[in-house]
Amino acid sequence: MYVYVVQQLINALAYGSVLGLLAVGYTMIYGILGLINFAHGEIFMAGAFACYLLVKALHLPFIIGAVGAVVASILIGLLLYKIVYQPCIKHKAPVLAVFIASFGASLGLKYLFMMFFGDQRRAFPIPEYLTGVHVFGQITVNTRDFVMLIATIIIMVVIAYLIRYTRVGIAMRAVSYNMKIAEVMGVDSIKIVVVAFIIGSALAGVSAVQYGLNFSILYPNMGFTPGLEGFIGAVLGGIGNVPGAMIGGFIIGIGEILFVALLPPSFSAVRPMFVWGLLFLILFLKPTGLFRPNVKYEGIWGE
Amino acid sequence: MALSNVTAGYGEGNVLHNINIEVEQGEIVALVGSNGVGKTTTLRSIMGIIKPKVGSIVFNGQNLGLLPSHKIAITGISYCPEGRELFGNLSVYENLRIGGYLVKNHKNFKSRLEWIYELFPRLYERKSQLSASLSGGEQQMLAMGRALMATPKLMLLDEPSLGLAPILVDNIYEKIREINRSGTSILLVEQNISLALETSGHSYVMEEGQIRLQGKSKELLNNDYIKNAYLGVS
Repeated sequence: MYVYVVQQLINALAYGSVLGLLAVGYTMIYGILGLINFAHGEIFMAGAFACYLLVKALHLPFIIGAVGAVVASILIGLLLYKIVYQPCIKHKAPVLAVFIASFGASLGLKYLFMMFFGDQRRAFPIPEYLTGVHVFGQITVNTRDFVMLIATIIIMVVIAYLIRYTRVGIAMRAVSYNMKIAEVMGVDSIKIVVVAFIIGSALAGVSAVQYGLNFSILYPNMGFTPGLEGFIGAVLGGIGNVPGAMIGGFIIGIGEILFVALLPPSFSAVRPMFVWGLLFLILFLKPTGLFRPNVKYEGIWGE
Repeated sequence: MALSNVTAGYGEGNVLHNINIEVEQGEIVALVGSNGVGKTTTLRSIMGIIKPKVGSIVFNGQNLGLLPSHKIAITGISYCPEGRELFGNLSVYENLRIGGYLVKNHKNFKSRLEWIYELFPRLYERKSQLSASLSGGEQQMLAMGRALMATPKLMLLDEPSLGLAPILVDNIYEKIREINRSGTSILLVEQNISLALETSGHSYVMEEGQIRLQGKSKELLNNDYIKNAYLGVS
């Protein structure tokens, strides 16, 4: 039984990484702009498809596919910013309008991909060298999960360092707190917003590769559930708080896999209960999340 | 720096009407008046937070009119807002780091930081502390230190004495004089009129968004209208 739990935990870390990386993207954008990028899950999905196309259609090595996923995600993210969010900022759109635009972008991207690729599940390309397993006593670890976990940890340490100690990172946190005063100090807040989109989208691309390696599938609607759960992870970690989002994402991901693993099979329909139940608990007990949020006003709708 | 015929406000209405203010290099100029007359609005329009609807703002020969705030900061003006407006989620050091965002050279940054820490030793003691946890006096020091990090030519100082005990106010004003001696011109907005008139060379008295009186601060101290309306002397 114990071995089973540990085994599941190891597997869960992979999904935890997926969500942790997505959560950071949500939290950065919300922290700086005060808006939830509903299309973040589609940026993730686009990354997965880019990798798929590069490997399956163009027969390029997987490494190129993985890098391509990150690049494609960044491009889609910047495109979204230019087309959807920049006009909203420029015209000082009310929150509800941004909400709708964001949601519309999500649907638009999803159905665009569905139009071109159909909604069937495809097999994510997994390279030969990542298909092995390592066995430690009674525990089996997929090589690919192991590799992606290490990569994720490295990335998260780098991002945390960037946010904490570099000029740009401190500027991002200042802009999250009070954009106007940050500008008075000489910070070009538009540039900071673009940086946030680039970083968040890049992480979504990495997350997409992670997801593809772990679950072996991709399809246009794949961003819906990880996106939602990633967002909940960001809320759990204190919205706007980057390290918090990393941890929050991991907790949701690990928690969900363990929940399903420990649940008797007859209750499998109850699986979504975990995430929603946890969200309810958070909002009820500690609406600001586990860690300190990084926005001036801690409510989602400002003061 | 000169504001000429500036009319500005928020949304439809106007708060400022036809404002003319000049600050010469090296001066401390005070802008005084009761609560809500438009003093902070004046500073905000210089800093680009709001744009003047009529009139121009010229600094060192450059028209600040359409520049966004971050570009105005590059010209050498800094802003220490009313109520401090610190980045509460950042430490003392990090607030100063943002103040020095435009300082490119690492050596310059370090020496500037040292100067600020010498000016305000308390800030050095608390440099890793979250700025939201500082006392009122310390927050004012940090707000001023932050505004000084980029070695501004002109510092806009809004209500530095607000909410501070008299001893702290004296302390802060000592520092204000020292800052001015080190070469920074100051446009001081202050509700405490006698303090403002004692510290500054020139003053402007604002009422309902317009300049009612102006002149050498020493002379204004003896002005009958000022004495009656603001200093409570009859």
